[in-house]
Amino acid sequence: MSANPLEQFVIKPIIPLEIGGYDISFTQSSLWMGIAVICATLLMTLTMRGKAVVPGRWQNVAEMMYEFIAGMVHENLGHEGRRYFPLVFTVFILVLMGNLLGMVPYSFTFTSHIVVTGTLALIVFGLATLVGFMRHGLHFLTLFVPAGVPLALAPLIAAIEVVSYLSRPISLAMRLFANMMAGHTMLKVFAGFSVTLGVVLGVLPLVVNIALVGLEIMIACIQAYVFSVLTCLYLKDAIELH
Amino acid sequence: MSQPPEDLGQKIKAAREKHGLETTPQDDRAKQSGSSSAAAMRVATDLVAALVVGTFLGYWLDEWLGTRPLFMIAMFFIGFAAGFLNIYRSQTGQTFRIGTGSIRKEPNNDKNDQTGN
Repeated sequence: MSANPLEQFVIKPIIPLEIGGYDISFTQSSLWMGIAVICATLLMTLTMRGKAVVPGRWQNVAEMMYEFIAGMVHENLGHEGRRYFPLVFTVFILVLMGNLLGMVPYSFTFTSHIVVTGTLALIVFGLATLVGFMRHGLHFLTLFVPAGVPLALAPLIAAIEVVSYLSRPISLAMRLFANMMAGHTMLKVFAGFSVTLGVVLGVLPLVVNIALVGLEIMIACIQAYVFSVLTCLYLKDAIELH
Repeated sequence: MSQPPEDLGQKIKAAREKHGLETTPQDDRAKQSGSSSAAAMRVATDLVAALVVGTFLGYWLDEWLGTRPLFMIAMFFIGFAAGFLNIYRSQTGQTFRIGTGSIRKEPNNDKNDQTGN
Protein backbone atom coordinates (compact mmCIF):
# COMPACT_ATOMS: atom_id res chain seq x y z
CA MET A 1 0.00 0.00 0.00
CA SER A 2 1.54 3.23 -1.08
CA ALA A 3 1.25 5.91 1.59
CA ASN A 4 2.50 8.68 -0.63
CA PRO A 5 -0.40 10.21 -2.58
CA LEU A 6 2.01 11.53 -5.20
CA GLU A 7 3.53 8.16 -5.94
CA GLN A 8 0.84 7.47 -8.53
CA PHE A 9 2.39 10.07 -10.83
CA VAL A 10 5.80 8.39 -11.03
CA ILE A 11 6.67 7.38 -14.58
CA LYS A 12 7.72 3.75 -14.76
CA PRO A 13 9.38 2.36 -17.86
CA ILE A 14 7.91 -0.83 -19.26
CA ILE A 15 10.39 -1.35 -22.09
CA PRO A 16 13.61 0.56 -21.30
CA LEU A 17 15.09 2.14 -24.40
CA GLU A 18 17.94 4.56 -24.88
CA ILE A 19 19.03 6.01 -28.20
CA GLY A 20 21.84 8.55 -28.53
CA GLY A 21 21.88 9.32 -24.81
CA TYR A 22 18.14 10.05 -24.75
CA ASP A 23 15.85 7.98 -22.60
CA ILE A 24 12.95 7.10 -24.86
CA SER A 25 11.64 4.17 -22.86
CA PHE A 26 8.15 2.92 -23.49
CA THR A 27 6.59 3.91 -20.17
CA GLN A 28 3.21 3.28 -18.61
CA SER A 29 2.37 6.83 -19.73
CA SER A 30 3.02 5.87 -23.35
CA LEU A 31 1.05 2.68 -22.84
CA TRP A 32 -2.02 4.59 -21.65
CA MET A 33 -1.67 7.12 -24.45
CA GLY A 34 -1.73 4.20 -26.85
CA ILE A 35 -4.76 2.75 -25.10
CA ALA A 36 -6.48 6.14 -25.31
CA VAL A 37 -5.86 6.35 -29.06
CA ILE A 38 -7.07 2.78 -29.58
CA CYS A 39 -10.18 3.39 -27.46
CA ALA A 40 -10.99 6.60 -29.33
CA THR A 41 -10.51 4.93 -32.70
CA LEU A 42 -12.60 1.91 -31.72
CA LEU A 43 -15.32 4.14 -30.32
CA MET A 44 -15.59 6.16 -33.50
CA THR A 45 -15.27 3.27 -35.97
CA LEU A 46 -17.04 0.30 -34.38
CA THR A 47 -20.05 2.31 -33.29
CA MET A 48 -20.50 3.82 -36.74
CA ARG A 49 -20.17 0.49 -38.54
CA GLY A 50 -23.91 -0.01 -38.76
CA LYS A 51 -24.51 3.49 -40.23
CA ALA A 52 -28.13 3.17 -39.20
CA VAL A 53 -30.47 6.02 -40.06
CA VAL A 54 -31.99 5.69 -36.62
CA PRO A 55 -28.91 5.41 -34.41
CA GLY A 56 -28.61 2.83 -31.67
CA ARG A 57 -27.11 3.67 -28.29
CA TRP A 58 -23.48 3.34 -29.29
CA GLN A 59 -23.89 5.09 -32.59
CA ASN A 60 -25.64 7.85 -30.71
CA VAL A 61 -22.58 8.33 -28.48
CA ALA A 62 -20.32 8.80 -31.48
CA GLU A 63 -22.80 11.08 -33.26
CA MET A 64 -23.35 13.21 -30.18
CA MET A 65 -19.64 13.78 -29.74
CA TYR A 66 -19.26 14.64 -33.40
CA GLU A 67 -22.17 17.06 -33.34
CA PHE A 68 -21.00 18.60 -30.09
CA ILE A 69 -17.58 19.48 -31.46
CA ALA A 70 -18.92 20.38 -34.91
CA GLY A 71 -21.36 22.79 -33.27
CA MET A 72 -18.65 24.30 -31.12
CA VAL A 73 -16.33 24.81 -34.10
CA HIS A 74 -19.13 26.29 -36.16
CA GLU A 75 -20.20 28.64 -33.39
CA ASN A 76 -16.70 29.95 -32.78
CA LEU A 77 -15.04 29.83 -36.17
CA GLY A 78 -18.00 30.05 -38.52
CA HIS A 79 -18.41 28.15 -41.73
CA GLU A 80 -14.76 28.49 -42.59
CA GLY A 81 -13.77 26.79 -39.37
CA ARG A 82 -14.70 23.41 -40.81
CA ARG A 83 -11.13 22.81 -41.88
CA TYR A 84 -10.01 23.01 -38.25
CA PHE A 85 -12.59 20.48 -37.11
CA PRO A 86 -10.22 17.45 -37.30
CA LEU A 87 -7.70 19.22 -35.06
CA VAL A 88 -10.24 20.29 -32.46
CA PHE A 89 -11.92 16.90 -32.44
CA THR A 90 -8.59 15.05 -32.09
CA VAL A 91 -7.54 17.27 -29.21
CA PHE A 92 -10.92 16.85 -27.54
CA ILE A 93 -11.13 13.09 -27.79
CA LEU A 94 -7.50 12.52 -26.78
CA VAL A 95 -7.84 14.67 -23.67
CA LEU A 96 -11.24 13.19 -22.87
CA MET A 97 -9.97 9.63 -23.19
CA GLY A 98 -6.88 10.45 -21.15
CA ASN A 99 -8.94 11.97 -18.37
CA LEU A 100 -11.59 9.27 -18.32
CA LEU A 101 -9.18 6.33 -18.60
CA GLY A 102 -7.38 7.84 -15.65
CA MET A 103 -10.49 7.16 -13.58
CA VAL A 104 -10.16 3.42 -14.17
CA PRO A 105 -8.53 1.83 -11.11
CA TYR A 106 -4.86 0.85 -11.59
CA SER A 107 -4.63 2.99 -14.70
CA PHE A 108 -2.38 5.97 -15.27
CA THR A 109 -3.58 9.49 -16.07
CA PHE A 110 -1.21 10.85 -18.66
CA THR A 111 -2.96 14.24 -18.64
CA SER A 112 -1.72 14.74 -15.07
CA HIS A 113 1.76 15.43 -16.44
CA ILE A 114 2.57 18.93 -17.56
CA VAL A 115 4.89 17.55 -20.25
CA VAL A 116 1.89 16.02 -21.99
CA THR A 117 -0.51 18.93 -21.55
CA GLY A 118 2.26 21.41 -22.34
CA THR A 119 3.05 19.66 -25.61
CA LEU A 120 -0.62 19.65 -26.58
CA ALA A 121 -0.96 23.33 -25.66
CA LEU A 122 2.19 24.27 -27.60
CA ILE A 123 0.91 22.43 -30.68
CA VAL A 124 -2.37 24.33 -30.49
CA PHE A 125 -0.70 27.67 -29.76
CA GLY A 126 1.96 27.20 -32.44
CA LEU A 127 -0.63 26.27 -35.00
CA ALA A 128 -2.88 29.21 -34.12
CA THR A 129 0.08 31.60 -34.43
CA LEU A 130 1.10 30.02 -37.72
CA VAL A 131 -2.44 30.35 -39.07
CA GLY A 132 -2.43 34.00 -38.00
CA PHE A 133 0.80 34.77 -39.81
CA MET A 134 -0.21 32.80 -42.89
CA ARG A 135 -3.54 34.57 -43.20
CA HIS A 136 -2.50 38.09 -42.27
CA GLY A 137 1.28 38.15 -42.79
CA LEU A 138 3.10 40.72 -40.69
CA HIS A 139 -0.21 42.52 -40.24
CA PHE A 140 -0.89 39.87 -37.58
CA LEU A 141 1.50 41.78 -35.31
CA THR A 142 -0.99 44.66 -35.07
CA LEU A 143 -2.80 42.32 -32.69
CA PHE A 144 -0.42 43.54 -30.03
CA VAL A 145 -1.02 47.24 -30.58
CA PRO A 146 -4.68 47.89 -29.84
CA ALA A 147 -6.50 50.60 -31.69
CA GLY A 148 -6.68 54.02 -30.07
CA VAL A 149 -3.71 53.73 -27.75
CA PRO A 150 -1.68 56.94 -27.24
CA LEU A 151 1.75 56.69 -28.83
CA ALA A 152 3.54 57.20 -25.53
CA LEU A 153 1.78 54.23 -23.97
CA ALA A 154 2.05 51.95 -27.00
CA PRO A 155 5.37 50.24 -26.04
CA LEU A 156 4.08 49.41 -22.58
CA ILE A 157 0.74 48.14 -23.84
CA ALA A 158 2.45 46.13 -26.57
CA ALA A 159 4.72 44.48 -23.97
CA ILE A 160 1.73 43.60 -21.81
CA GLU A 161 -0.17 42.23 -24.80
CA VAL A 162 2.79 40.11 -25.90
CA VAL A 163 3.17 38.64 -22.42
CA SER A 164 -0.57 38.05 -22.28
CA TYR A 165 -0.44 36.27 -25.64
CA LEU A 166 2.55 34.14 -24.68
CA SER A 167 0.92 33.17 -21.41
CA ARG A 168 -1.87 31.36 -23.27
CA PRO A 169 -0.18 27.99 -23.79
CA ILE A 170 1.11 28.07 -20.22
CA SER A 171 -2.31 28.68 -18.70
CA LEU A 172 -3.91 26.19 -21.10
CA ALA A 173 -1.44 23.48 -20.12
CA MET A 174 -1.46 24.36 -16.44
CA ARG A 175 -5.25 24.32 -16.16
CA LEU A 176 -5.62 20.75 -17.40
CA PHE A 177 -2.56 19.45 -15.59
CA ALA A 178 -3.44 21.09 -12.27
CA ASN A 179 -7.04 19.89 -12.35
CA MET A 180 -6.07 16.32 -13.08
CA MET A 181 -3.21 16.20 -10.62
CA ALA A 182 -5.16 17.85 -7.81
CA GLY A 183 -8.13 15.55 -8.30
CA HIS A 184 -6.13 12.36 -8.32
CA THR A 185 -4.03 13.42 -5.36
CA MET A 186 -7.21 14.15 -3.42
CA LEU A 187 -8.61 10.71 -4.22
CA LYS A 188 -5.43 9.09 -2.96
CA VAL A 189 -5.40 11.21 0.20
CA PHE A 190 -8.94 10.23 1.13
CA ALA A 191 -8.21 6.59 0.30
CA GLY A 192 -5.23 6.87 2.65
CA PHE A 193 -7.56 8.16 5.41
CA SER A 194 -9.74 5.10 4.97
CA VAL A 195 -6.76 2.82 5.42
CA THR A 196 -5.42 4.53 8.53
CA LEU A 197 -8.80 5.03 10.24
CA GLY A 198 -9.61 1.34 10.23
CA VAL A 199 -12.75 -0.52 9.28
CA VAL A 200 -15.39 1.41 11.28
CA LEU A 201 -14.39 5.07 10.93
CA GLY A 202 -12.77 4.42 7.56
CA VAL A 203 -16.21 4.25 5.99
CA LEU A 204 -16.56 8.06 6.23
CA PRO A 205 -13.63 8.92 3.94
CA LEU A 206 -14.81 6.14 1.67
CA VAL A 207 -18.17 7.87 1.28
CA VAL A 208 -16.37 11.12 0.50
CA ASN A 209 -14.24 9.29 -2.02
CA ILE A 210 -17.26 7.90 -3.82
CA ALA A 211 -18.60 11.42 -4.21
CA LEU A 212 -15.17 12.60 -5.33
CA VAL A 213 -15.00 9.96 -8.03
CA GLY A 214 -18.24 11.33 -9.44
CA LEU A 215 -16.87 14.87 -9.26
CA GLU A 216 -13.64 13.76 -10.93
CA ILE A 217 -15.50 12.19 -13.83
CA MET A 218 -17.35 15.46 -14.30
CA ILE A 219 -14.08 17.44 -14.15
CA ALA A 220 -12.54 15.02 -16.66
CA CYS A 221 -15.27 15.89 -19.16
CA ILE A 222 -15.31 19.63 -18.36
CA GLN A 223 -11.56 19.95 -18.77
CA ALA A 224 -11.61 18.16 -22.11
CA TYR A 225 -14.33 20.58 -23.17
CA VAL A 226 -12.43 23.62 -21.87
CA PHE A 227 -9.28 22.54 -23.67
CA SER A 228 -11.06 22.21 -26.99
CA VAL A 229 -13.14 25.39 -26.60
CA LEU A 230 -9.96 27.36 -25.92
CA THR A 231 -8.37 25.77 -28.98
CA CYS A 232 -11.31 27.17 -30.95
CA LEU A 233 -10.96 30.61 -29.37
CA TYR A 234 -7.25 30.83 -30.10
CA LEU A 235 -7.86 29.86 -33.70
CA LYS A 236 -10.65 32.42 -33.84
CA ASP A 237 -8.25 35.18 -32.81
CA ALA A 238 -5.82 34.09 -35.50
CA ILE A 239 -8.49 33.91 -38.22
CA GLU A 240 -10.38 37.12 -37.58
CA LEU A 241 -7.95 39.83 -36.68
CA HIS A 242 -9.69 42.74 -35.05
CA MET B 1 -58.87 28.01 -21.80
CA SER B 2 -59.53 29.33 -25.25
CA GLN B 3 -56.38 31.43 -25.51
CA PRO B 4 -54.65 31.56 -28.84
CA PRO B 5 -51.33 29.68 -28.72
CA GLU B 6 -49.14 32.65 -29.76
CA ASP B 7 -50.43 34.62 -26.83
CA LEU B 8 -49.51 31.81 -24.46
CA GLY B 9 -46.04 31.57 -25.97
CA GLN B 10 -45.50 35.28 -25.37
CA LYS B 11 -46.68 34.96 -21.80
CA ILE B 12 -44.29 32.06 -21.16
CA LYS B 13 -41.45 34.06 -22.68
CA ALA B 14 -42.25 37.08 -20.53
CA ALA B 15 -42.44 34.96 -17.40
CA ARG B 16 -39.17 33.23 -18.20
CA GLU B 17 -37.47 36.56 -18.79
CA LYS B 18 -38.79 37.89 -15.51
CA HIS B 19 -37.19 35.02 -13.63
CA GLY B 20 -33.97 35.17 -15.60
CA LEU B 21 -34.52 31.83 -17.29
CA GLU B 22 -34.33 33.11 -20.83
CA THR B 23 -30.67 33.03 -21.73
CA THR B 24 -28.90 34.92 -24.42
CA PRO B 25 -25.84 33.40 -26.10
CA GLN B 26 -23.64 35.71 -24.06
CA ASP B 27 -25.03 34.42 -20.80
CA ASP B 28 -24.22 30.90 -21.92
CA ARG B 29 -20.70 31.96 -22.68
CA ALA B 30 -20.31 33.25 -19.14
CA LYS B 31 -21.72 30.06 -17.69
CA GLN B 32 -19.34 27.89 -19.66
CA SER B 33 -16.70 28.30 -17.02
CA GLY B 34 -18.73 25.86 -14.96
CA SER B 35 -18.67 25.76 -11.20
CA SER B 36 -17.17 28.47 -9.02
CA SER B 37 -14.14 26.34 -8.16
CA ALA B 38 -13.45 25.91 -11.86
CA ALA B 39 -13.73 29.69 -12.27
CA ALA B 40 -11.34 30.23 -9.36
CA MET B 41 -8.90 27.75 -10.84
CA ARG B 42 -9.10 29.56 -14.12
CA VAL B 43 -8.39 32.95 -12.59
CA ALA B 44 -5.42 31.50 -10.72
CA THR B 45 -3.89 29.89 -13.78
CA ASP B 46 -4.45 33.01 -15.88
CA LEU B 47 -2.61 35.17 -13.39
CA VAL B 48 0.21 32.77 -12.62
CA ALA B 49 0.83 31.88 -16.26
CA ALA B 50 1.30 35.52 -17.25
CA LEU B 51 3.58 36.12 -14.25
CA VAL B 52 5.71 33.12 -15.14
CA VAL B 53 5.97 34.12 -18.79
CA GLY B 54 6.80 37.73 -17.92
CA THR B 55 9.48 36.86 -15.40
CA PHE B 56 11.00 34.22 -17.64
CA LEU B 57 11.10 36.61 -20.60
CA GLY B 58 12.79 39.18 -18.39
CA TYR B 59 15.35 36.66 -17.21
CA TRP B 60 16.05 35.63 -20.77
CA LEU B 61 16.43 39.24 -21.89
CA ASP B 62 18.85 39.84 -19.02
CA GLU B 63 20.94 36.83 -19.96
CA TRP B 64 21.04 38.06 -23.52
CA LEU B 65 21.78 41.74 -22.87
CA GLY B 66 23.77 41.31 -19.68
CA THR B 67 21.59 43.68 -17.66
CA ARG B 68 21.02 41.27 -14.82
CA PRO B 69 18.16 42.38 -12.62
CA LEU B 70 16.68 45.16 -14.77
CA PHE B 71 14.42 43.36 -17.25
CA MET B 72 13.53 40.59 -14.87
CA ILE B 73 12.03 43.09 -12.43
CA ALA B 74 10.39 45.19 -15.13
CA MET B 75 8.93 42.18 -16.89
CA PHE B 76 7.69 40.78 -13.60
CA PHE B 77 5.41 43.79 -13.24
CA ILE B 78 4.41 43.66 -16.90
CA GLY B 79 3.58 40.00 -16.37
CA PHE B 80 1.48 41.01 -13.40
CA ALA B 81 -0.38 43.54 -15.54
CA ALA B 82 -0.84 40.95 -18.30
CA GLY B 83 -2.19 38.50 -15.75
CA PHE B 84 -4.84 40.94 -14.62
CA LEU B 85 -5.62 41.73 -18.23
CA ASN B 86 -6.17 38.00 -18.80
CA ILE B 87 -8.49 37.82 -15.82
CA TYR B 88 -10.38 40.92 -16.87
CA ARG B 89 -10.89 39.54 -20.34
CA SER B 90 -12.00 36.12 -19.24
CA GLN B 91 -14.39 37.54 -16.64
CA THR B 92 -16.00 40.05 -18.99
CA GLY B 93 -16.64 37.34 -21.55
CA GLN B 94 -13.89 38.63 -23.83
CA THR B 95 -12.47 35.18 -23.58
CA PHE B 96 -8.79 35.63 -24.24
CA ARG B 97 -9.22 38.14 -26.95
CA ILE B 98 -6.07 40.07 -27.56
CA GLY B 99 -6.31 43.78 -28.22
CA THR B 100 -8.54 46.19 -26.33
CA GLY B 101 -10.08 47.29 -29.64
CA SER B 102 -12.52 44.44 -29.36
CA ILE B 103 -13.57 45.51 -25.87
CA ARG B 104 -14.48 48.99 -27.03
CA LYS B 105 -16.42 47.62 -29.92
CA GLU B 106 -18.67 45.66 -27.60
CA PRO B 107 -21.17 48.31 -26.35
CA ASN B 108 -22.41 49.78 -29.64
CA ASN B 109 -21.29 46.91 -31.91
CA ASP B 110 -20.64 49.42 -34.62
CA LYS B 111 -18.11 50.24 -37.25
CA ASN B 112 -17.89 53.81 -35.96
CA ASP B 113 -15.21 52.75 -33.53
CA GLN B 114 -12.86 51.77 -36.32
CA THR B 115 -12.67 55.38 -37.45
CA GLY B 116 -11.79 56.61 -34.00
CA ASN B 117 -8.32 55.12 -33.83
